[in-house]
Amino acid sequence: MLELLQSIIVYSFVFGSIYLLVSLGFSLICGILRIFHLGYGLSFVMAIYLTWMFMTELKLGVTLSIILMILVQFAVGMLIHWGIFQRYLEEEEKLLTLSLLAYLVFAHFANYRYPITAGVHLPTTIMYGALSIGVTTISYQMFIAAITAIFVTLVFVFIFLKTKLGLIMRAVSQNLRGSMLMGVNVGLTYWYAIILSTIPPIICTLTIAPFWSVDPFMGESMLSIAILIAILGGLGNLKGSIVASYAIGFIHSVVSFVYTSRFMGLVALIVTLIMLLVKPEGLCGAEKLW
Amino acid sequence: MVSLEFRRDRIVFRYGDQKYEWVIEPRYWRNPVIGALVLMVLPFLVYQYPNILTMITTANIYAAIAIMLSLQTIGTARLNFGPQFYVGIGGYTAALLNLYFGLNSALTLIVTILVSLLFAFLISPIVLIARGLYFALITLILPLIFLEITFVYGDIFRGESGLSGIAPLLNLGSVSWNYLAYYFLSLAMMLIYLLVVDKTMRSRYGLAMAAINDNEDVARTVGVNVNKYKILSYVIPSVGMGVAGWFIAHTFRTFAGITYLSLDFMVKILLMIIIGGRASIYGSIVGGYFVAFLEEGLRTLGPINYVVFPLTLILCVYMLPEGLWGLYHKRHYRDYYPKLRVRRR
Repeated sequence: MLELLQSIIVYSFVFGSIYLLVSLGFSLICGILRIFHLGYGLSFVMAIYLTWMFMTELKLGVTLSIILMILVQFAVGMLIHWGIFQRYLEEEEKLLTLSLLAYLVFAHFANYRYPITAGVHLPTTIMYGALSIGVTTISYQMFIAAITAIFVTLVFVFIFLKTKLGLIMRAVSQNLRGSMLMGVNVGLTYWYAIILSTIPPIICTLTIAPFWSVDPFMGESMLSIAILIAILGGLGNLKGSIVASYAIGFIHSVVSFVYTSRFMGLVALIVTLIMLLVKPEGLCGAEKLW
Repeated sequence: MVSLEFRRDRIVFRYGDQKYEWVIEPRYWRNPVIGALVLMVLPFLVYQYPNILTMITTANIYAAIAIMLSLQTIGTARLNFGPQFYVGIGGYTAALLNLYFGLNSALTLIVTILVSLLFAFLISPIVLIARGLYFALITLILPLIFLEITFVYGDIFRGESGLSGIAPLLNLGSVSWNYLAYYFLSLAMMLIYLLVVDKTMRSRYGLAMAAINDNEDVARTVGVNVNKYKILSYVIPSVGMGVAGWFIAHTFRTFAGITYLSLDFMVKILLMIIIGGRASIYGSIVGGYFVAFLEEGLRTLGPINYVVFPLTLILCVYMLPEGLWGLYHKRHYRDYYPKLRVRRR
């Protein structure tokens, strides 16, 4: 019984942290731009397949490929913002469909170029071996991913609470018109938000790539995790995201340890649906960033 | 008494003091009639190619779903992001009842209607409660939950491989006749949907729906029972989509959650109404045919078609801001037809 409890706690911590990293960028866009970025999965797929492409086709080193991939990601993020978000901010159906289509284009391209049999993998393992905490054993890489996630989140929280950019972003997320009256350049803030939101998925993908199942359509599962956390925590609320990530991590680990892992996705979905119907503003209140 | 008179632009038929006219000058021709005639002749030109017949049958089914989604969008003034949920419910009800209980297609139709009605009524309060993004969210999540269920209970639903061996709707003995018959059945379903929706939109109910679509508060002020209309225009199209799912299950004789409940299928349906022209009803037929033709036509390119298909659709959305129907509407701007206005709050 105690061993079970320990496993559940360790795994909810690890998976909660990873889910936090997965959902951070999505919540950010949701909070500041007030839209759903259904093409959010693009960042995850691109992080893996672009790095792999640079490594194998251009024969670049790992570090150089990653740097190049990050630059391309920024460019694509800006392109999506310029081509889709800015243009169709008021036409929700086009915005959602186009962003989903943008994801589908790249995912299918990755699948065409490197099907799952091509054995795409990233050599980003920082530390080999496994860590034993009591009776539970997890690999060091998982532990490092969790620690990285917490670190990145702390950096984001610091940005939002202590810097001027964060102040502006919180203002935009709370009251768009009021912040405009105060002289905020909203357009520029949106650009910053887009750039910032591509960083967590990249870091997440690079750290979890050695132990996560990597395939061209992994973006969809990542997107659904991000959507669930965003809803559960309150749309675009960072505080809520942190709570909700660990909640989802807890639900997943409880269901998979106590019952069977087949049901973990379903239970999380149903909990979120109940949340939507009972308390639609989420755990920490929607429509504000912090 | 009875007289038949041919004039330059019209035929006039008189019976007693009744007078019937039929305008034959081309610019007064009713376009839906011509369209329906073209669609009726079309299969005879291509009857030797079963894959083309299947394609246009699929196009009819897509169009039927898109027409119902358009009606729902106009009536509730919100875009349903999970239209495939009801297709899935209809299809699975028909498939499961047929396979496990041996009900024939007429009985499964009745049960499908009842089950879709039940689900639609249970879920319909969200059109009143959910505001802005939350409506999009709830409707987006419902089919995902259903898809997850079909995976989790894979031994019943077979979400990944699909239920197969469902009883056919009819069997005329020869394969090519069957293809033709299925085409005409799907066409009939689509035209019935079109007729019903067209009549509704031109009636008092349609006016009330258009008023709700334009401005809900003003509509309430002038005495439209907004809640009733919104619930009705959520429930009835949902049942229509469920029937489309029943049709899919009995026509293709296989039904898989991964095909009809996934985000890909949702994107396809939404694109039909976007490319057709912002939820205009005739446009959604054009959109349905366009998407089906494009999907099938690109298949000749080989595996790269999965990349080209979304790319083409992105280009279409950019090039046609008002959709294909908008091209027509530009020249016939006096036809009033309510169209979609999505609101964010």
